Amino acid sequence: MSALEELRSGALSAKENVARYLEAIEARDGEVNAFIELNPHAEQEARRVDERIEEGKAGKLAGLVVAVKSNINVRGLRATCASKTLENYVSPYDATVIERIRREDGVIIGMTNMDEFACGSSGETSYFGPTQNPSARGRIPGGSSSGSAAAIAAGFADLALGSDTGGSIRNPASHCGVVGIKPTYGLVPRHGLIDLAMSLDQIGPLAGDVRSAALLLEVIAGHSDREATTLRVSPPEYSSALSADLSGMRIGFAREFEEYTAKEIIREVKHALSKLEAQGASVVEVELPSLDKALPAYYLTVFVEFFSATRRYDGRRYGYRIEEVCGEEVLRRIMLGRYISQKEYSGRYYRRALQFRSLIKREVLSALAEVDLLAGPTTPKLPHRLGESLSPLEMYAYDLLTVPANLAGIPAGVVKAGEVRGIPVGLQLHARPLEEQKILNAMYALEGGT
Amino acid sequence: MRVNIGFEIHEQLATSTKLFCLSPTNYRDAEPNSNVCEVCLGLPGAKPMPVNREAVEAVVAIALMLNCEIVREPVYILRKHYDYPDLPSGYQRTSMPIGKNGELAGVRIWEVHLEEDPGKYDPTTGRVDFNRSGVPLVEIVTAPDMHSPEEAREFLKELVKVLRYTQRVREEGGTMRVDTNVSIEGGARVEIKNINSIRGAYRALKFEITRQKNLMRRGRAVKRETRAYLEAQMITRAMRTKEEAEDYRYIPDPDLPPLLITEEMIEKVRATLPEAPHLKERRFVEQYGIKSDDARIIASELELANAFEEVARVIPPQFAASWIRDEVKRVLEYNGITFRQSGITPAHLIELLQMVLRDEITLKTAKKVMELLPERRTSPRKIIEELGLKKLRDDSAVARACDEAIAENPKAVQDYLSGKKEALNFLVGQVMRKTRGRADPAKVLEMLRERVEGETGQDAGRSA
Repeated sequence: MSALEELRSGALSAKENVARYLEAIEARDGEVNAFIELNPHAEQEARRVDERIEEGKAGKLAGLVVAVKSNINVRGLRATCASKTLENYVSPYDATVIERIRREDGVIIGMTNMDEFACGSSGETSYFGPTQNPSARGRIPGGSSSGSAAAIAAGFADLALGSDTGGSIRNPASHCGVVGIKPTYGLVPRHGLIDLAMSLDQIGPLAGDVRSAALLLEVIAGHSDREATTLRVSPPEYSSALSADLSGMRIGFAREFEEYTAKEIIREVKHALSKLEAQGASVVEVELPSLDKALPAYYLTVFVEFFSATRRYDGRRYGYRIEEVCGEEVLRRIMLGRYISQKEYSGRYYRRALQFRSLIKREVLSALAEVDLLAGPTTPKLPHRLGESLSPLEMYAYDLLTVPANLAGIPAGVVKAGEVRGIPVGLQLHARPLEEQKILNAMYALEGGT
Repeated sequence: MRVNIGFEIHEQLATSTKLFCLSPTNYRDAEPNSNVCEVCLGLPGAKPMPVNREAVEAVVAIALMLNCEIVREPVYILRKHYDYPDLPSGYQRTSMPIGKNGELAGVRIWEVHLEEDPGKYDPTTGRVDFNRSGVPLVEIVTAPDMHSPEEAREFLKELVKVLRYTQRVREEGGTMRVDTNVSIEGGARVEIKNINSIRGAYRALKFEITRQKNLMRRGRAVKRETRAYLEAQMITRAMRTKEEAEDYRYIPDPDLPPLLITEEMIEKVRATLPEAPHLKERRFVEQYGIKSDDARIIASELELANAFEEVARVIPPQFAASWIRDEVKRVLEYNGITFRQSGITPAHLIELLQMVLRDEITLKTAKKVMELLPERRTSPRKIIEELGLKKLRDDSAVARACDEAIAENPKAVQDYLSGKKEALNFLVGQVMRKTRGRADPAKVLEMLRERVEGETGQDAGRSA
């Protein structure tokens, strides 16, 4: 992990680190469109970090440059959610994760592009225009944390924050060939994360390598008194506990994954699994018979919770009424949420969704009772070409393999498994609640760490 | 025709911070929109903090005082969605019932909930003040067990008394909000919203029952509907159908795990509960032998009742009770304050009454001092010394005043002597005025009688 080592050794100053990323962004983001807004104080903040490095007081992230998804509040920057609805919303407060990053001397470089209100899996629905996939030109970067994944892939930042409700970190990590982690529900405080579906949303890290992702995760994870849904845990130091020795580790692969996924992707995934076996892991087959119920359970939940979450955009405080200015996917979800949350339907849809959800959770946890990790592909297909038009259902199908982790509340991570015709393909690994370290270790082994 | 009336009552809880954040609740003393943070402003991304424990305990206390069962299953906090300027996030959080199946004064209490208050919207200026947003409320739902506006009013009075007793609701008053439902046998149930006081509830019910009876008399059906009470006109008016057909789309708030009321919390709260007012009343009669009317008035406020018990340890109970009922209450009502707000202490009352019993001051003086207590907030003895109100021990001063009164009022003397006995009372009044109430009225009467009657025997008035 060069940047951190260089910063620690003094070979690189925080200010220089920020400057080189700003230069790269200046030169190439016109094409990538990973950022919506840059932090005008980044260099000044870096200078302060340099002082702290000199005084020997700098934190874990000393001088590392962090890109932040535009649905996370950073005081003084716009948390637009890539929507016209919030185009003028300058946040007056820092999300808990931002406080933690600042405490460890990370430098926020800017706010990244995303699917509008995180409603999308392609990065195309932003009010600020689509993001390019820097690792596969002409293709979508995936979403909804499109700008954060692209920023890492394009070399615009050391680290990035994304949010993951049904795959929004893992899907673009896979398409862009970077590392992304969706933590256990409740491990990372959500205060300051603008809602998509509150019972599923988690903030997580994206990075170019496993150690960096582990480092950012240990900074942002852990109980917060000011929030009702964080778990009462103080997480381990994932980054220093990394180990590529997988001996004794059991990895499950679900047969159902093959049914839904393109063969060329499965080939890369299996190849990656064989590499993990070489590090001492054993791979066994497990079953997820209700996988087909995951999407309806997920989307019905999202519609209802998203409808509720968007009631504050009533046009009185943020300038626009959301329904009047949002894109069609956001509008579709609001309308469907409004429809199925009606008194007469609540039993039929929302409660059914909750039933499916507990069914999936039971199944995933029982599979994980047999194995340490559950491995598989991240998306059923390769990223489509930018501008290609997909029906809503085709678009939703991208999420089939990522939503189970959110429904079950378990951690899942994605690391590059290989490429198909030059397009990155990610291996997805799930673990039992709070066993992020196992995922990180396996990803680290695949990356070739020691 | 039998009338059935039920209530939904909201009252603010006396917590120092709001229900889901640490913003203070003293919104009345604060500049508009100063007691706010990202949570109670519902800013994008803001998450509620864990539910304010003090507020949960307050609702448990109130539910127990209303003889409810406390719900032991997980209590979900729901989002109730509606679109109004006072609601910054577009939904209001309200708990599932915490207490159920209670009873007060013969009225069944169906449910007791915890809720958050919205902000305050002023339609004339279009401004919203979010200082109130997130202040905790208790919501109490009764069965339709009242059968006249008078019964309904009595129940509300009793309820307010019990709520005050728990010391868990705001005592400034004026924060109660009441929805009522009323139906007459054979007619549909009508809900009335927008009532802010007991008097308002009474007037709204009076109007509404007359309206429904008139409709029925003319052979027209009473529609099932929601009406608003218009305070200024003292009438109810139908709300727009849109307002009443609202679907709140309740969902459990995904940002809040359900509440679990533990046995431990219930016991802890139970240990702090005061004796219920009606039980206290009964005990006062039995234990202190005071009149039941006095007991009822004394038990109407917890602090007053507690003060009585302290005073009655030293002062004969019936004397103390009469004094509190007549004099203390008179002063409180005149000033429109509660006993607690008055700053009067049991020690003050004991000191004052002891001075009366020891004949150091007259009753008239004691009453005057009583009036000064809320303002002066100091020892009665001090007030008496400062104002020189001690009883006149010096007979010569009283005698001088008697002589003056007789000399100044020859007509009254004549009237008395010609058989109008009450003329002497006038003279007593004159003497009391001259002595600023410090003379003993009985003694004055005796001295006057002696002098006036003596005048018939001896021509010359006696001098001291």
